[in-house]
Amino acid sequence: MMTKYSILAALIAALGGLGAYLMLPHKRKGTRAGLAYKAGAQAAVLALVLFAALLSPLADFVATTFFDLFAVAAVASALLMVTARDPVHSALWFASVVLSTGGLFLLAGASFLAAGTIIVYAGAIIVTFLFVIMLAQMEGRAVYDRAAHSPGPATVSCFVLLWCLLASIATLSTDTSGPIETREQQFRAETSFSRIESLVERFRLHKHSAMLTVIDQASPATNRIHGGEGAEKPQVAGIGGSLYTDHLITAGLSGVLLFVALVGAIVITNPRPRPQATGRGQAI
Amino acid sequence: MAAIGILIKIFIVANVLMGAVAYLIWVERKIAAYAQDRIGPNRAGSEFGIPFGLLQPLADGAKMLLKEGVLPAYVNKPLYLIAPVIAIIAALLGFAVVPFGPVGPNQVMDFQIAPYVDIGILWVFAVGSLAVYAVILAGWSSNNKYSFIGGLRSSAQLISYEIPLGLSILGMVLITGSLDLNAIIRWQNEHHVWGVFVSPLGFIIFLVSAFAETNRLPFDLPESEQELVGGFHTEYSGMKFGMFFLGEYVHVITVSALTVILFGGGWDLWGLLPYLNYKDVGWIAAIAKLSVFSVKVAAVILFMMWIRWTLPRFRYDQLMDLAWKSLIPLALLNLFATAVVLQIVRG
Repeated sequence: MMTKYSILAALIAALGGLGAYLMLPHKRKGTRAGLAYKAGAQAAVLALVLFAALLSPLADFVATTFFDLFAVAAVASALLMVTARDPVHSALWFASVVLSTGGLFLLAGASFLAAGTIIVYAGAIIVTFLFVIMLAQMEGRAVYDRAAHSPGPATVSCFVLLWCLLASIATLSTDTSGPIETREQQFRAETSFSRIESLVERFRLHKHSAMLTVIDQASPATNRIHGGEGAEKPQVAGIGGSLYTDHLITAGLSGVLLFVALVGAIVITNPRPRPQATGRGQAI
Repeated sequence: MAAIGILIKIFIVANVLMGAVAYLIWVERKIAAYAQDRIGPNRAGSEFGIPFGLLQPLADGAKMLLKEGVLPAYVNKPLYLIAPVIAIIAALLGFAVVPFGPVGPNQVMDFQIAPYVDIGILWVFAVGSLAVYAVILAGWSSNNKYSFIGGLRSSAQLISYEIPLGLSILGMVLITGSLDLNAIIRWQNEHHVWGVFVSPLGFIIFLVSAFAETNRLPFDLPESEQELVGGFHTEYSGMKFGMFFLGEYVHVITVSALTVILFGGGWDLWGLLPYLNYKDVGWIAAIAKLSVFSVKVAAVILFMMWIRWTLPRFRYDQLMDLAWKSLIPLALLNLFATAVVLQIVRG
């Protein structure tokens, strides 16, 4: 079972890497450039189909469909973003990646994160990218601007990392299912459970039994933060509470950092008029 | 079964919105006519004895659909074609979390496409921030200087005004303690106090920013006719132009509904009429709430149209000054003052 997934993961990484390499804009221009792009696209599509096959179905049919859709769309848009010839298209594919990721967040129950990602990245940052790209002159782009820098090493390193990720995820998804068969598995389960129990004892996470706490911790955490009257606190309030209690210093520090960056940006954009340079000043 | 019910609800809401948009265009033309001492559309339908040109929207719609779809040469085809689609999708998606009637487990039905979403208003902002893509892509892909300038102006304007828009509602969010639009209505209903009275500065900032976000006069610089021909939609014709139009008016409806929900009490009427309490359930209460809400939204839309035909357009630097030098500091002040007062009142 495990080996099957590992082979599949390796196949996806190899095909995807080959496809991405062929689709990247290269320095050598020729009649075979279009052919290479098409072949690369076919390899990438095959890799995507295999990737979709790797995704294990969820409990709900609708959720499964949407998850597969968003996952494949995110990966495909990322590939197209890197390989697009036109920077405007690249920026738009980036927006598509962000939207798909937002959809995945929504499916995972992290709706605040989804909304935040879309507002900050798709709504503000990528629009600013587009703004800058469109203002920059599009004509007369040189080959060194359009071609990818060292596409080979980049593709290899990226897809080796992807292979590691896929292989480790595939192992995880097969390991948790199925009854406990060997004694070693039994032992591992017992020790991990006792560890959780001791953690529960130590931190007093929940009033009820350890089992409930484990279930509680396993389910989407921000959904289950309890309010004053025992009612479930809404997510946003939960995140806010966590930010201003557990992560107070981090939140404060990042605020200071952003403020400094803001001041820096204003200082850079409003340069003082230079004093008239004397001969000596120029020499230095 | 639940999924089919939701699909039916989406179908009905989307179609009601489209129909409302058709008649809003008629209303806008009538208001424009009265503002300029004209009569406005009054012919369509007179053959069938229907007064006031009430069939004008049908004629307008047929014209949009039957016109030749011109595809100019040298446009960036995929982006040119996708821009109007983004405009209408973003506008319609934003309406998904707007409660247009009572919502709750005991109610006859949830008058909201996506009920119990606790990010509520954040969703509207997230989807609303995507609407800028339609304008910027339309401007760029048209391969036309006027369109391009319109698109650039629009992206700067929409990004700038999103900040005061987001900050202005935070006062109400602090007071009501929720981002869920139903909870905000419920708070106003419980206290019989509308948001406009507890957060007046927030209301003004919200309204001004909302005008800018919907590209309405006095903020319609992206499409200012006198200097940019038509701005970002200069090169669009037929139904492609119609989709921009539809998107803009759906956006106006959404923003008006948000104004009513956040600052106008939703369906609350200070307890003057029966059946308008959040505890009331049943069809009569539902229809009463729906009617009160619709009347209020219509009033806000009429106000927006009235403003459109009253005020002249801003200059570009005035537009940017208003956002960055007035509205954002005022919104921050509003947030700070609300937080201080709340801390004092609630201890």
